[in-house]
Amino acid sequence: MCFPRSASDAAAAVRAARVHGVPYVARGSGTGLAGGATPLDDALVIVTTQMNRVLEVDIDERIAIVEPGVLNLDLSRHTRPQGLHYAPDPSSQQACSIGGNVGTNAGGPHCLSSGVTSAHVLMVEAVLPTGDIAELGSLAPDTPGYDLRGAFVGSEGTMGICTKVAVRLMPNPPLVRTMLLDFMSVEAAGATVSAMIAAGVVPAALEMMDAEITRAVEDFVGAGYPRDAAAVLLCEIDGLIEGVDYQVSEVRRIAQSHGARSVRIAQTEAERQLLWKGRKSAFGAIARIAPDYYLHDAVVPRTKLVQVLESVYAIARAEQLTMMNVFHAGDGNLHPLIVFDSREPGIWERVHEAGSRILHTCIDAGGVLSGEHGVGMEKRDLMPLQFSSDDLAAQGRLVDAFDPDGLANPRKVLPHGWRCGEVQQRGGTIPDDTWI
Amino acid sequence: MNILGLDDDELISCVGCGLCLPHCPTYRVTGLEIASPRGRIAAMRAVETGVAPIDAPFVDAMQECVQCRGCEAACPSGVPFGHLMEDTRAALELNAASRPTALAARVRRGLEWIGYRVVLPNHRVLIALSWLLLVAQRLHLVPKRFGPQRFGPPLLTRSSLMTKLDVSSGALGDAWLFTGCVMDAWQRPTHLAALQVLQATGLRVAVPGRGGDCCGALHEHAGRRAEAQHLARKVMQSMPGDAPIVVDSAGCGAALKQYGRLLGTEAATDFSRRVFDFSEFVVQRGVPATRATGRTVVVQDPCHLRHVQKSHMAVRSLLSDGYELVDTDDDGLCCGAGGAYSVLQPDLSREIAMRKSAALRAAGADRPGVLVCSANPGCAMQLTQAGFSVQHPAELLRDALKEGPR
Repeated sequence: MCFPRSASDAAAAVRAARVHGVPYVARGSGTGLAGGATPLDDALVIVTTQMNRVLEVDIDERIAIVEPGVLNLDLSRHTRPQGLHYAPDPSSQQACSIGGNVGTNAGGPHCLSSGVTSAHVLMVEAVLPTGDIAELGSLAPDTPGYDLRGAFVGSEGTMGICTKVAVRLMPNPPLVRTMLLDFMSVEAAGATVSAMIAAGVVPAALEMMDAEITRAVEDFVGAGYPRDAAAVLLCEIDGLIEGVDYQVSEVRRIAQSHGARSVRIAQTEAERQLLWKGRKSAFGAIARIAPDYYLHDAVVPRTKLVQVLESVYAIARAEQLTMMNVFHAGDGNLHPLIVFDSREPGIWERVHEAGSRILHTCIDAGGVLSGEHGVGMEKRDLMPLQFSSDDLAAQGRLVDAFDPDGLANPRKVLPHGWRCGEVQQRGGTIPDDTWI
Repeated sequence: MNILGLDDDELISCVGCGLCLPHCPTYRVTGLEIASPRGRIAAMRAVETGVAPIDAPFVDAMQECVQCRGCEAACPSGVPFGHLMEDTRAALELNAASRPTALAARVRRGLEWIGYRVVLPNHRVLIALSWLLLVAQRLHLVPKRFGPQRFGPPLLTRSSLMTKLDVSSGALGDAWLFTGCVMDAWQRPTHLAALQVLQATGLRVAVPGRGGDCCGALHEHAGRRAEAQHLARKVMQSMPGDAPIVVDSAGCGAALKQYGRLLGTEAATDFSRRVFDFSEFVVQRGVPATRATGRTVVVQDPCHLRHVQKSHMAVRSLLSDGYELVDTDDDGLCCGAGGAYSVLQPDLSREIAMRKSAALRAAGADRPGVLVCSANPGCAMQLTQAGFSVQHPAELLRDALKEGPR
């Protein structure tokens, strides 16, 4: 492990690793959910937690320049007095680092209206796998030439290590209304989401939680989430006063026409914060139900939400697993959550089987493999479900251009066989330890 | 394997989400996973299951924890980290392999023994030593390294040590005011203020009789469980009856409220139910009429008031009529005092204090005339040494009473 304090420290670490042929992995706060920062092959872990300064805030240009170890929420806190915030807000935003957000191209509830991390990153300074320090992108709104910044954001440490990030800051909205909609069935909640999108309502965030997870978070936060609801929607509308009022009444109308039992609007900022704290603590609250969980991340078309959710619950019943759903409904970004106790014999096989069936279901419905958590190790071998051989080969060539030695976070993102120097195995998988 | 004797259900209840990280003072200043609650639990698991030995890095990692329990309040799964850490320290205290062998470390261990066994539980010894320290401070015999400016003991004054609490000791009143060890030696004017406020609400107040000299919190935090239990029994004996027990030290109050778990008896659980933090108690009873002082106070929440007793909001109700209250924007992050922590881990303690100081300054606590309020003696000392004007909520309320103290 090493803890660089500057880009040149990080570059020295990468160069040393290269000289000795040692693979390396960048790590921020370790809140990732796809194993992207897990070191394989005795890799050197380059931890960015000590590079945690906000270097510059330009209020007029609405830009902040930060080191990668700055925590996501700390940045928004830092700029709160100026009425600005950093928009992408993963549920782990109080703990996760901006560098990790760049690595996974992280999303979050409010990315429904404001876009995911890539839309907010103007420039990245990175230590490339050659050991050189390069700036990708620029502070200009539209950088000429190829968008290497765009390639780097979401590369999960396979193209180098980010050491400085210039991000866009957004003005805090003049008015925010957070609504809690309470339903007697998951179907009704799902149908409400589809209807809202179809009616042209674009909330700042639109989140859904099913019965069991709602009870678990309520046990933690005590925000007044209904314990007997089959599903709740947390819907946030922001903007100018007139527009907000109209959209709130539209949401209320649509929800009630789909059988919403109650519509509650947070009356104070504290009440609003508490509702959000519940939603953003959901994964962490799982141990109130069982000690282990396996969280999935897939996106389906919003029109298919109800149908896919039914399949997901059916799969859980078939495998006799406890399944919960808490997710970014507005994006169709599902997070089926299997909770279990790993001390139970044979449970892992069922968990994996259910997970694989869920992902197949989502992709068959026209969805994609990952919404925001990244591919890492977890989804690596499932990439062929979504990408053809030509797609994977093209992606392999792109990574090779950045990392010709294959030492930057190896064996992540792309399945074996698509990088330069790896044995091509398109006909089938070659078992580990096979001598070739 | 059950090397540390930890509760298996408590140990597996961490799902590793990392939401505790920003609330951990040692993680915040080091950026090291092993200095975070998640990392410490992982290390406990490794030792408990025999994957890793009890070695010096493990012992250090456990001792570097301030035990502020900020992680507990932040944990969505409610992992009882405080229990895990206290049980681990108790196991290490009994484990010969974790004892230091180097001479300097053994000398230090000897000094700790004197502190825990001789000084803290014997109030007369502590008072006598405090007078000696006062004389030494006056004669400039205290090396700078241990002086008030460098996070040593505070600058003692004669008037403070001479302050008298003019109430019956050991006799039954309407309420007990628990006085404790270090606070009664070094911060007795705070007790006086608390007493005056309680009397202003019309109560006859008594202080504990002999034996109730120390609550044992520091012993329990250090893993010296048998000593903590012994002191807890003596404290219980010193305040018999049903009268409520008011504690104006957040750390002691948290300890008294947890005697039920420490001793595991019904009597201890019943005793704990009688315990209230000063502000909590006065707010429940009804705050006496106060006048607006026009002064600004930045509220510092002691960790064991906020995360353990969860009664920190009462301070705000107590003082909102008399003062303009300002909160810090750091989710109540620890100040690094941590009972004996500032003495045992001075470097980390100081780094944590610097972080806290920055949060207090951001709230305007360094402006002329602005006060900081802290309901815990350790925090008050730490923040005074960092340059802030610190007062206890009891002192602030007493000074704002319309009627004035009797």
